[in-house]
Amino acid sequence: MKIVTFACNWCSYAGADLAGVSRLKYPEDVRIVRVMCSGMVNPAWILRAFRQGADGVVITGCHPGDCHYMVGNYYAKKRYLLLKELMKFVGFEDERLKLLWASASEGKKFAEEMDSFKKLIEQLGEQKQLRWTP
Amino acid sequence: MNEIEKIKDALKSSNAEKIVAFVRKESEPREVLKVLSPNEVDKISFSPLSLNNPAKLLMQINGKVAVVAKGCDSMAIRQLIKEGKLKRENLFIVGISCKGVVDYRKLAKFVNLSEVNDVELNGNDLVLKLKNGEKRIPFLEVVDENCLYCGHPTPVIYDVLIGEPREGKRDFSDIEQFERLSREERWNYWISQFERCIRCHACRSVCPLCYCEECMVDPSNLAVSPMSTPEEKASYPRILGKTVNARDNTIYHLLRVLHHAGRCVGCGECERACPMELPLRMLERKLEKVVVEIFGYDLNEDIPFFSKLDIVGD
Ligand code: SF4
Ligand code: SF4
Ligand code: SF4
Ligand code: FES
Repeated sequence: MKIVTFACNWCSYAGADLAGVSRLKYPEDVRIVRVMCSGMVNPAWILRAFRQGADGVVITGCHPGDCHYMVGNYYAKKRYLLLKELMKFVGFEDERLKLLWASASEGKKFAEEMDSFKKLIEQLGEQKQLRWTP
Repeated sequence: MNEIEKIKDALKSSNAEKIVAFVRKESEPREVLKVLSPNEVDKISFSPLSLNNPAKLLMQINGKVAVVAKGCDSMAIRQLIKEGKLKRENLFIVGISCKGVVDYRKLAKFVNLSEVNDVELNGNDLVLKLKNGEKRIPFLEVVDENCLYCGHPTPVIYDVLIGEPREGKRDFSDIEQFERLSREERWNYWISQFERCIRCHACRSVCPLCYCEECMVDPSNLAVSPMSTPEEKASYPRILGKTVNARDNTIYHLLRVLHHAGRCVGCGECERACPMELPLRMLERKLEKVVVEIFGYDLNEDIPFFSKLDIVGD
């Protein structure tokens, strides 16, 4: 399983870091891409990740009101909802896309959420709908 | 005075340097858009076969311009003003309260188009003046399906209004019906549609809102060599190439409509331009439904959808 996680530099990446420092285990399938803010996650990257074979994609960011750039996560949420609704409409397994607010102190939450997300993805199995096959 | 005379009069009353209006195409019964100078105003024409949206043309013209706009055309003009692409003071808008336009492909199934001299709407019938005689077709059988869901048949912005104001509607029943299908059915439907797309990008080229100088699908003009630094490469991430297969087409279409969230004015130009007749408006309308129902946004608001920073859900 491959789970691509876009983690914002200021909260969620630090949260993931904290999970590591605290020696909390979370699935090794989670590959983190550090971005400056959840607001810079282009929906195109998400679709591209699915095309390149990701089985799940998570966007993580600071809690609403806490974004380092004030409103980046508001944009993230908007884009996430629009993309998810569209995916659902065309019959893509939209459960494979997740949005998570995790602060720098929520290492435990980060690990737990990743655990349960992985379980969900395992139930769904391999993502085949958008995966690029030559 | 008939509609065309009224439009001419209105155009004459403006002091614009250019006119963007419909002109009858030679050897076909439909109109095409032309940029005219004020002394050519007598060339203009208008009918239920004046299909295209002039908003995109306006962005290429400097100075004061007069334009003939149906309901959806005026929506596009207003949206472009909202987005800073057009200036209201440079425009003189002759708005036409629209009764709907004809789907040219449907019409072609009823008659040999080259035999049609004139087309006009009379009550519920489309009257075709043929070389020999007349033919009446119920308008509903040839109307552009898009017009059946029209939210703004009366122009939302104009200097002169021609025709009686008409009520628009908000009807997502077709979308709701599709949503009731199973996930598999929905996927199979869309994949079979996207599979047919040849990625000519005509749907993008005609859309008044697709004015990006460089679209996500345009080839990056940054040559990547073994010497390129990571910074250089990162400054030009490639999102989607021009590869044509059902999956990449799916991605293209999802992204294209996403770029229109809260912006699509429903003119139907994308569908009209598509050589493969993909149901593009259905995706746009789904997104409109989301924007209206989940975000509570109204296209008539002065603030663009993406500038509105409200957070919905938990
Ligand atoms: S997406 Fe289609 S219907 Fe919407 S504004 Fe563009 S061309 Fe018109
Ligand atoms: S598809 Fe998107 S990127 Fe391309 S021109 Fe339209 S809005 Fe711009
Ligand atoms: S106009 Fe039709 S065939 Fe061309 S890219 Fe758009 S959907 Fe595909
Ligand atoms: S900086 Fe964390 S979401 Fe913007």
